[in-house]
Amino acid sequence: MSEPTGPLSLRAATVTDDADRAVLNRIAGGELDALDELYERYKTMAFSIALRITNDASLAEDVVQDAFLGAWRNAARYLEGRGSVKTWLLAIVHHRAIDAVRRRRPTAELPERDEAPPLALRLPDVWAEVAANLDAVAVRDALAALTDVQREAIELAYFGGLTQVEIADQTGTPLGTVKSRMRLGLLAMRRVLSP
Amino acid sequence: MTEPRNPMPPRALTHDEVVDLAASFVLDALDPDEMDAVREHLATCREPHEEMAELGGVVSALAVSVPLVEPPASLKERLMAAAAADLEGRQIAADSTVLEAAAAPVPVTPERAVERPFQRRPVPLRAWALGIAAVIAVVALGGWNLSIQRQLDEARQQLAEAQAYQQQVAAVLDAAQQPGSLTAVMRSEGGTGPSGLAAVTSDGRARIAMRDLAPTSDSEVYEAWVIAADGVPVPLGELQLRAGGVGYLEAGGLPTDSGIVLALTREPGPGATAPSSTPISVGTATSG
Repeated sequence: MSEPTGPLSLRAATVTDDADRAVLNRIAGGELDALDELYERYKTMAFSIALRITNDASLAEDVVQDAFLGAWRNAARYLEGRGSVKTWLLAIVHHRAIDAVRRRRPTAELPERDEAPPLALRLPDVWAEVAANLDAVAVRDALAALTDVQREAIELAYFGGLTQVEIADQTGTPLGTVKSRMRLGLLAMRRVLSP
Repeated sequence: MTEPRNPMPPRALTHDEVVDLAASFVLDALDPDEMDAVREHLATCREPHEEMAELGGVVSALAVSVPLVEPPASLKERLMAAAAADLEGRQIAADSTVLEAAAAPVPVTPERAVERPFQRRPVPLRAWALGIAAVIAVVALGGWNLSIQRQLDEARQQLAEAQAYQQQVAAVLDAAQQPGSLTAVMRSEGGTGPSGLAAVTSDGRARIAMRDLAPTSDSEVYEAWVIAADGVPVPLGELQLRAGGVGYLEAGGLPTDSGIVLALTREPGPGATAPSSTPISVGTATSG
């Protein structure tokens, strides 16, 4: 099955997510075929995110495998909550990739983390479900519409795996300014992408 | 400013501090302690934190901006092998739980032990019928006491065997978790024969745990084999057999290429240099 991309439509997002939840239900029941289906649906996007963050194909493979295994093991727990399966799955991929990048750094000291992405990514935000179904061009355009420093801060955090303090150090910017740039940048993207 | 309802540890964040950290939180740009502190606050704060959903939704859109790259086909094989091994582990754990429940004595709770004063009240017909059935069951159980005892002994024996297998599987999973290890799910044709798990570490050491092995006679042994790209089976050694059809083997000197095949045959005696029959259980070792 190909990865769902499509028009900016809540209906499309909802239909996709209903299908995803049905697959996740079967995964929770221990059906390997269902994991196969979920993997086929999101493998390319998951691998692309992991590769973009780790810049290492082998590490990206490990990240994707870990993320899907996490989904396999925690499907039942996820089903108790709400929100987009795709958002949840890709958030796991993102967290795993960030962890992998930070562990690779010589100064990294990271404890084991659970599968749960930040609470925010599990909140039943209708806009988040729509946003997860945007096409890449629209999101890149929204990123391009930001100021250089806003885009830099967001990309260093999301794709570079840097903490806000590390971004402040690396860019020689006060911490408060970094926080402000990330927040204003995300809000600006939201305005551009809103239906 | 709104404080959380319950007192929190000294590091606890206020509502406004969490609002201030929201963008960094949804971008995963806080250190682990800070992430935990925000999560703790969100779990206890009674005030809404709309900014989290507001900003978090944009972050989920960022994921789709990356250039698409197809993963290699081998990644799916690794994932499915690892998930199959995980499923096998769950089934073993479930088997042990059932057997433990069967073998455990029924506890007498204080509530059951307390004598209650007789209370006369109408007894519905259904309850009365169930009462008679219970009396019949108790009489029958008394007559079958020896049989139950025997069944309990068997259940305890099965539990011990399942636990032995579980320990061996745990040893295999330990090896499987080492970096660069290969894992294989051993299956029989048709799925009714011996099954198990195997792991090959990056230094060429294998651990194989099997169950449902039929009893051997005389000098018969279960021999494990590794088959690399040249297609020639190389003997790894005999499985050490335990009661209940459980077997385990540790061996060294294996090739470490993903895709090597592990196989099990039943041989008339030890020391076989080539299989004398078709494998009774086979698994492909893949990385992951």
